[in-house]
Amino acid sequence: MRRRVAVTGIGIVAPGGIGVPAFWDLLTSGRTATRGITFFDPSGLRSQIAAECDFDPAAHGLDAEEIARSDRYLQFALVAGDEAIRDSGLDLAGENPWRVGVSLGTAVGGTTRLEHDYVLVSDRGQHWDVDHRKAEPHLHRAFTPSTLASAVAERFEARGPVQTVSTGCTSGLDAVGYAFHTIEEGRADVCIAGASDSPISPITMACFDAIKATSPSNDDPAHASRPFDARRNGFVMGEGGAVLVLEELEHARARDAHVYCEIGGYATFGNAYHMTGLTREGLEMARAIEDALGQARLDATAIDYVNAHGSGTQQNDRHETAAVKRALGAHAYDTPMSSIKSMVGHSLGAIGAIEVVACALALARQVVPPTANYETPDPECDLDYVPRVARERRLRSVLSVGSGFGGFQSAVIMTLPRERTE
Amino acid sequence: MSAPHPRRAAVTGIGVVAPNGNSTEAFWKATSEGVVVLDRITREGCEHLPLRVAGQIRDFDPPAAIEERYLVQTDRFTHFAMAAADLALEDAGLSRSDTDADPFSVGVVTAAGSGGGEFGQRELQQLWGKGSRFVGPYQSIAWFYAASTGQISIRRGLKGPCGVVASDEAGGLDALAHAARAVRRGTDVMVAGATEAPLAPYSMVCQLGYEELSTVAEPDRAYRPFTTAACGFVPAEGGAMVVVEAETSARERGVPVRATLAGHAATFTGASRWEQSREGLAQAIRVALDEAGCAPEEIDVVFADALGVPEADRAEALAIADALGPHGTRVPVTAPKTAVGRACGAAPLLDVAAAVLAMEHGVIPPTPNVFDICHDLDLVTARARATEMRTALVLSRGLMGSNAALVLRRGAADAS
Amino acid sequence: MSDRITVEELAELMKKAAGITVAPEELRQQQESGFDAFGLDSLGLLGIVGELENRYGTPMPPDAEKSKSPRQFLALVNSALLAGA
Repeated sequence: MRRRVAVTGIGIVAPGGIGVPAFWDLLTSGRTATRGITFFDPSGLRSQIAAECDFDPAAHGLDAEEIARSDRYLQFALVAGDEAIRDSGLDLAGENPWRVGVSLGTAVGGTTRLEHDYVLVSDRGQHWDVDHRKAEPHLHRAFTPSTLASAVAERFEARGPVQTVSTGCTSGLDAVGYAFHTIEEGRADVCIAGASDSPISPITMACFDAIKATSPSNDDPAHASRPFDARRNGFVMGEGGAVLVLEELEHARARDAHVYCEIGGYATFGNAYHMTGLTREGLEMARAIEDALGQARLDATAIDYVNAHGSGTQQNDRHETAAVKRALGAHAYDTPMSSIKSMVGHSLGAIGAIEVVACALALARQVVPPTANYETPDPECDLDYVPRVARERRLRSVLSVGSGFGGFQSAVIMTLPRERTE
Repeated sequence: MSAPHPRRAAVTGIGVVAPNGNSTEAFWKATSEGVVVLDRITREGCEHLPLRVAGQIRDFDPPAAIEERYLVQTDRFTHFAMAAADLALEDAGLSRSDTDADPFSVGVVTAAGSGGGEFGQRELQQLWGKGSRFVGPYQSIAWFYAASTGQISIRRGLKGPCGVVASDEAGGLDALAHAARAVRRGTDVMVAGATEAPLAPYSMVCQLGYEELSTVAEPDRAYRPFTTAACGFVPAEGGAMVVVEAETSARERGVPVRATLAGHAATFTGASRWEQSREGLAQAIRVALDEAGCAPEEIDVVFADALGVPEADRAEALAIADALGPHGTRVPVTAPKTAVGRACGAAPLLDVAAAVLAMEHGVIPPTPNVFDICHDLDLVTARARATEMRTALVLSRGLMGSNAALVLRRGAADAS
Repeated sequence: MSDRITVEELAELMKKAAGITVAPEELRQQQESGFDAFGLDSLGLLGIVGELENRYGTPMPPDAEKSKSPRQFLALVNSALLAGA
């Protein structure tokens, strides 16, 4: 019999509030957490706005040593991990550690620290021959993104398959997807899954400036992220981390765990088109949705809500609308589809996992989060984007989709626990 | 023995870009002859660093291997990846028209540990030296870890499942396992592997914090695992891509199955906790053998991780004994990477390529620069050893705590 | 510094910003062709616009980066440079 995979714990660090209650409050209030950048002086940049986390690692239980050795994105993951494990009620000491895995995504990993130390060793970009004596002690932990899964595995003493996933902006969805397959295929019974990124630094802001992908609405940061709106002008950079406890369903039931939802299906395809460009047709994302539906053994008409990638760039929102219509057919017009990036920005690799958390909460609470700032319809984006106000709705199966630089197109399907015919 | 999976994953093509050879043939010749290419680092901006020796790729000519525009638009690690992918696809007899026939049936997965460091350093210098307007548009797609998978997919028109795992050195084996699972789930072909280019000046500075790094200045003494002179490992660049294909698909196309990916497992025992890696590596070997339906005695050769750190070497020798029992001290063990160094996640890919070639040639490549073994292992040292092999075990560990084991079976499984 | 971008300079910019080699003569003869015919993608064109903006210290017209052909691109940037001179 096929092994089923349940979500039994959730933790989150997102702009606008740390922890599930604050996150859900933001999503359902329709407020936005986008603002002028405070982490550094952004003058000179085209886009000077971001969704920053007001995050104090010490207040969330990290000690001085952990804070010193952990980049900000690692701190997010550790804090979100603590909340998720607590929430799951799982007694990790009682688990077989070889059967506990970790699958975490990040797009840019330790970039912020890499940049920070680069400035030191190069005398602010003056020399190609960098001076290693000026580097800080924990720099090597920023060098490779595998530090992310490693740090979380050490904290929770996981000894099974531990991997970092780095597929750009689909990293979060893919990390959850890999974890789902890891449990489904029997390689672990529990998997700590999610993603984290802290990309609000000069180099990352500058590289998105260079391709004009980010919003230049510096005079109105609160309304800068406008997915699906005709006046959208780019995404707003974000940061954050989300961790979910994924567990084989019978394992969860045996300990009477609260099950938020099941992961029903996951698929990803490459568009083989362009590193940053998207096709008008959205064929590959549609294919990912169809494949995920097949794994979940659901018809397209079973989807009650689509959590969109909805980055707020002209091409993304058009592409995604086309893809969802292709995969869901006429049912797409009856299905609410919203982008929480309107509120929490686009935290690159982290956002996919943050969106999976939003979906799990939406299923558990039967509420669809809105697309904030949506006002002016775009003829090419003609679906129900849940403008500005959260909506109560009967939800049984939801879909989250994502696109990433490199051409990655991913889809995850989540369902309320149900009896499936095998 | 468990029943073989109906969609067994086979290796049908290998493409290598390594310090000891920029083609699979050149790599095998140098590897089997034990030619050492570790040398003093000559890369611009690296001469003054306290890391003296590395495995550098010297005669790779990017414009000869890939289109000129990629020299401006992508990092060196992606140049290697695109070149290695071309070699692997050609080796597997898969032309553009073959893969275009059903682009969704061919995917790409790479492991990435170091990203586009040289490109990133150049753009950081533009930003901090001149200003944010001097950061070019290709920085957004060249520095990040997903660059190689994306570029291979786009350049070759491959729309199947695309992925990137970043699990340190052991991630190279995880990428192959990922490909094997994608094949079992229904994708016909996966272009899988890893290439790395971590020898740019700032990338090197970032790695200096690794206690396991060798800072010995003499190339022939810098990397000597399993000896009392073990003093850490030597970094390298390059790697390999392989074509992982459903055995049924290979048969339909009429191409030879070089080997099958019979079993894999990964465990985690903590960053730099080498003593604990004994248990983790042994567990990975056991689970990989179980998945392969393989008895310990069937292992004909072990490609060791061979980190070159005394505690790590001891842990590995004990793990082999723990998992393979008495056979562990009799089975030939080799570590040809002492000739070329370790290129992050790409290190085990070179071992996989060497393992497949070793089984095909009936020759175990040697472990150069290593003699006076201080562990109970039958290490193949000075010269290659001729022997018939059907099954190889490849081991890998990462500095961040991952352990992985991969069992490879020679040729088509149903031929046995 | 000239206040007009010539075909020769555009060819140099394509080489520098995007790694695309095209002979000025060929570019001149095929000015109506799409940039994609030369292998130049949208990021490459953004890079050329950025390079010109840095060189001349003045913003280029927003449509420059969306130009389909060399002729269209040269007309747009040269009118902007002329107006700014």
